[in-house]
Parts: sequence; C-alpha cells; structure tokens
Amino acid sequence: MATHESPMRYEEDGNVHLDFHGATNTTIDFIVERFGVDAMDAIFRKVGRDVYASIRSDLIAGDTRQLVRQWRHFFDREGAEYDIEIGADEIVLTVRRCTAWHHVKGLVGHVSPHFCDQTSRTNEAMAEGSPFAIDTEITGEGACRQVIARRA
Amino acid sequence: MIPSDHFTRFYNEIFKFLESQGEEALEAYWLAISKNQERHILDLIQTQGLAGMYEYWSHIKIEENCDMDLDFNEDRLELRMNVCPSLSKVMDNDAAPMERYCDHCAGWIGPIMDKTGYHMVYDVIDRTKPQCVTRIFKDPDKAREAEKSAQLLMGWPGHKVG
Repeated sequence: MATHESPMRYEEDGNVHLDFHGATNTTIDFIVERFGVDAMDAIFRKVGRDVYASIRSDLIAGDTRQLVRQWRHFFDREGAEYDIEIGADEIVLTVRRCTAWHHVKGLVGHVSPHFCDQTSRTNEAMAEGSPFAIDTEITGEGACRQVIARRA
Repeated sequence: MIPSDHFTRFYNEIFKFLESQGEEALEAYWLAISKNQERHILDLIQTQGLAGMYEYWSHIKIEENCDMDLDFNEDRLELRMNVCPSLSKVMDNDAAPMERYCDHCAGWIGPIMDKTGYHMVYDVIDRTKPQCVTRIFKDPDKAREAEKSAQLLMGWPGHKVG
C-alpha cells in the first residue's frame, strides 16, 4: 500500500442540502420505470468508475484510505449513525441510520426499492480491477453493512 | 450512499445517459424533476407569488451555498448567480461534464412558472461558465422585453426559444 495518503478528491464543506436525496429517489424511479434496472445500474457503475476515479485508482493501488475518509467525511456531514471498524482482514462500515434513506422517507413517504442500489453498484464499480471487493448488505430500512475485503 | 454534496455529479451522469436516448427522454426527465420540486415551491408561489419565490430561493441560496444576488421588487424577481455551485461541481469532476448541463435549470423551473402564470427569462450567458441571470415577471410584455438583452436565452419543455 502507498505510504503517502491521497487527498480526498471531493471535500465539500458549507451547508448540506438533503433534499437532493429526494431528487435522487425521483431519478431512480424515472430511470427504472422507463429504461429498466439494468440502465440504472449502468449509470451507478459509471458514477463509481468515473466520478470516483480517484478512489478507484487508490483501491487499484491497494489503498483503501481515501474511501474510508470519504465515508467518514460525508456520513458526518449528513449526521448519519454509523461505525467503521478497521480490522486486519476487512474494513466494515455499519450504517445504523442512513440520513439519505430517512430523509426521503420523511419527504415523500416512498423510498424506491432501488434506492440503496446507488451504494451497492457504486461500491462494486469502485472496486473493479482492484485487489478488493466491496460488498453491501442491506440490513433493514435505512441500514446497511459495507465490507471492504481482499478478494480471495 | 451518493452524498447529497455529490448529487450534481450524479445528475450529470443521468443527463448524459438521457441525452443518448434522445431529446424526448431528457425533457420527460426535467418534467419529472419539476413535479418533484413542486412540493418545495408550488404552494409558496400560489399563496405569495413573487414573494414566495424570493423566500424559496433565499433558502436555497444558503442551503446550496450559492454565490447569488436576489433582487425582488413588485413586478419581478431577479436571480443573479455569480458562482453556481451546481455547475462548479460538475466542472470540478473526474467525469466529463454534459455540455448542456445548464439546461436542466430552465427545464424544471420553466414548467412551474407556466403552471403558475409567471414568465421566466433565463439567460445562461455561457454554458461553460457557472453564472447566469434569471428574471421572473408577472407581466408577459416585460418578460418579452427582457428577452431582448439575453446573451444565451434558454427554453424548456413547452416553451422553445430561438
């Protein structure tokens, strides 16, 4: 693993506009209804590969630190309830209360059944071609477990 | 989770996909977003008119970290975006910006103005620069007059320009 830590590519600060999660929910419903789940998944994978190219590049180089920093930075900004355990063999992010999911639920009452695909698919795409797999398990409403582990 | 801070970069990927599917797909999406946004702004406009719009965008200016001047008087509201955070993020991006990224703003606001009886003049100025000027009038004649000084006038579904 590289010894010099990459800076976080997108380190936004200022105020947080949680209503964007409502627009994401509307977008997912729109794309899935018109073009199908595969099209939505392809867009999420593109986000993982292209928008998060810097994290992906680090993962390919064997460095998980930028992704973990991003998790901390943005879950803190959005006031999520979560823990990150960094072990010898795996890194586990446990989200007990996802702000995005609960904000959408409060805003529109309906959360797309594909809402959490944004996490699963972008994680998979960021890890593509790297020594790591990132598995996302949805453990409940607005709750999940994300595990970074070296591929067998 | 794609953080709310990164929504515009996700939005950019959606626009690129929809553009590849044709103009009708892009316009249908703007209308879906417009419908979504009605829950935030429609009641304000219907009950308070231009003052309600001023209240909405005053809130957005803070929450979305906009460098924007709002000028409200009895016959029009002007939004002068000095540094648009949305396009700025899309340009500060490892993924390529969609060339018509700015069009989405007129795409969702315009239909709400049509629905509520207001007239929008949206001057993008230059799609590669994160700045624009939007003026909203109650009087259609004043809007038509304002269109004459626009540098890059933007239309929306049901309201083509140029």
